Amino acid sequence: MSRRKATIIVLAWNRWDLTRRCLDSLYATDRTGAEVIVVDNGSTDETPRALSDYPWVRVIRNPRNLGFVRGNNVGIAEADPDSDVVLLNNDIELPQRDWLQRLRDCAHETSGAGIVGCRLVLSDGRLLHAGTYMLPETMWGQQIGSLERDVGQYASTREVEGIVFACAYIRREVLTAIGPLSVDFESYFEDTDYCLQAGRAGFKTFVCGGVTLVHDEHGSTTGDDGRFMRTFQASRAVFRKKWGKALAARYTRELLWQSIMNFPTGYAMSTREILRALDRRGVRSRYRYVYGPGTPYPPAETSSSGDYLMNVIAMRNGASLPSVGVVYGQGDVFRRNRARRKVGFTMIEVDGFPSEWVRQANRMDEVWVPTEFNRQGFLASGVKRPIHRIPLGVDPNYFHPGIRGVPNGNGEFVFLSNFEWGERKEPWLLLKVFNDEFTAGEPVRLVCKIINKDPEVHVRREIANLRLKESGGKISFVYNREFPYYQLGAFYRSADCFISAGRGEGWDMPLMEAMACGLPAIATDWGAHTEFVHEGIAYPLRVRKTIPAVAKCPYYDGFQWADPDPEHLRVLLRQVYDDREEARRRGMAAAREMADRWTWDHTARKVIARLEDLDS
Amino acid sequence: MNENWTIAYLEARVAHLEKKLSERSATLRIFTRQACDEDVINASRTALGLPPLPRAGFGLRGWKETTTLAPADVEKTMRELWRSVTPPDLGDEE
Repeated sequence: MSRRKATIIVLAWNRWDLTRRCLDSLYATDRTGAEVIVVDNGSTDETPRALSDYPWVRVIRNPRNLGFVRGNNVGIAEADPDSDVVLLNNDIELPQRDWLQRLRDCAHETSGAGIVGCRLVLSDGRLLHAGTYMLPETMWGQQIGSLERDVGQYASTREVEGIVFACAYIRREVLTAIGPLSVDFESYFEDTDYCLQAGRAGFKTFVCGGVTLVHDEHGSTTGDDGRFMRTFQASRAVFRKKWGKALAARYTRELLWQSIMNFPTGYAMSTREILRALDRRGVRSRYRYVYGPGTPYPPAETSSSGDYLMNVIAMRNGASLPSVGVVYGQGDVFRRNRARRKVGFTMIEVDGFPSEWVRQANRMDEVWVPTEFNRQGFLASGVKRPIHRIPLGVDPNYFHPGIRGVPNGNGEFVFLSNFEWGERKEPWLLLKVFNDEFTAGEPVRLVCKIINKDPEVHVRREIANLRLKESGGKISFVYNREFPYYQLGAFYRSADCFISAGRGEGWDMPLMEAMACGLPAIATDWGAHTEFVHEGIAYPLRVRKTIPAVAKCPYYDGFQWADPDPEHLRVLLRQVYDDREEARRRGMAAAREMADRWTWDHTARKVIARLEDLDS
Repeated sequence: MNENWTIAYLEARVAHLEKKLSERSATLRIFTRQACDEDVINASRTALGLPPLPRAGFGLRGWKETTTLAPADVEKTMRELWRSVTPPDLGDEE
């Protein structure tokens, strides 16, 4: 625990209502080892008079409004020269009593830390800020996690490019090295500028996920949009001139990524995560939709992804294509790879690959698959090109045990399964076995989130045909509802055990995400996901044998998949239900292992290693 | 009927209607604490003489067969789900 003194600087310009709320909430927190300075930036309302009622605050009056930067610099100059400094907007509320100590600990105990920010939420509970990033193409700072419902995402301490200075803990060493905020800016961009300057001086910027404050954003400029835009654009021009080249130089590699992004599919979701992770690691990706008319998936893709970074990546152009291109999708669209060095990246749920995929794979420079299971499948099917394993991953910011679920208040133990209705997922087995194994009188329930987009399939009728017993285990269905991806962790955390009892998987992202959330998982012990599922962290479900993969999907013709053992499923369901302590232990072990070994950053590192090889 | 009688009658009528409205509001408040959003909407529609909306249940009863995905919120959906399977005497007191 650090004992370094801190000076909290609250900059106020009119809006006494906000300043009073900020100071009153600050007073109720632990301010041990801290002095509070309010810099009154020439307020003309009741602020000057009202501040005299706060004897625990040192007040400094500026004769006129000096703007955010110069106003704060007045406070920094007045701070004890041995103290750290905390900049705090007057439109912040502090509901967390130990916020200051946590920020101080983070600043002094995190290796390399110079500046520390926190999570900021709006008063309606939406997340506003968990760090910032700036893209050189647009020079428009983006707040990470902005306007998502706060489900507990970004709860850990993470290094970021920047933070907003609505709340910024700055170590004295940083101030000594680079001085106060740059007066090149009146307001806006000074925070990113300062973080980048600190970075150049060897100090990292972090967000302390253990601190969450409420930010009524732009309280001081609300109602004056013209002034806001003038100040913003002037600062942006200065920032572009100062940092444009440096931000562009962050990218050390280029990549053409041809895939799918704006549909609710596994390839699309993983494309977004891979491109995001590659961007963090200095790969400037360009995205092109690989499907459309003339392909096995003809629909056109909408131009907006609803995600700022993805939209910028999709809009990137250039005189020449990057030398390396990856087609990430089914193997029968590898032929659409437009780059000089061609990679085909795919996966499948059965034990071999269709001949057309193999033919196209053999025209690539190399082939990527996520798992050894698929590597063996390609080899057995006749691929002669080098095959590299690039595992997929999980985002531990959104999938971790601290995500807030909505638990069943009536005490039932909840099993959860999440799947698209069809032969591959074998839902009939799970429903039947669960209903047989448990009774309606037991406090246990199976929740199945089912998706069906096939008009020829009548799910209700198929379930009714199972003739599940009223007296058997209780089952609820969440049918054809689409949750925002960032909320899926909250869905998993609303249950006690996850089940993936299908016949085959190409990766199984829902399973990995549930495990990352700390759920014990029962999963078929065959196929791609055996890459990350094992007895120590989950409950592998025995397979009786492999059987012909009979399904509507033509890609499976002639191949095999698993026949999960119903008796063993029955045993595992009961085992998890009876020994919850052991189930919890395995779930938490799974969460640790997913965070340690299977994140998108791991994926990006492997991709970059291959790009280095291909470029050389 | 003289004017004073008319005024007194109308005042009494207004007071009576206000009392009924207040009782109805109190009933609705109690009801909304126990029922899910869908039930509240359907009760209101019934009171207005409109047919109830098709029930989006979590079981086979009221199942709406569709191939369209409906955007949903996890917290709202799960609260509705748990409420739909919780006996009334165990309902949360929010």
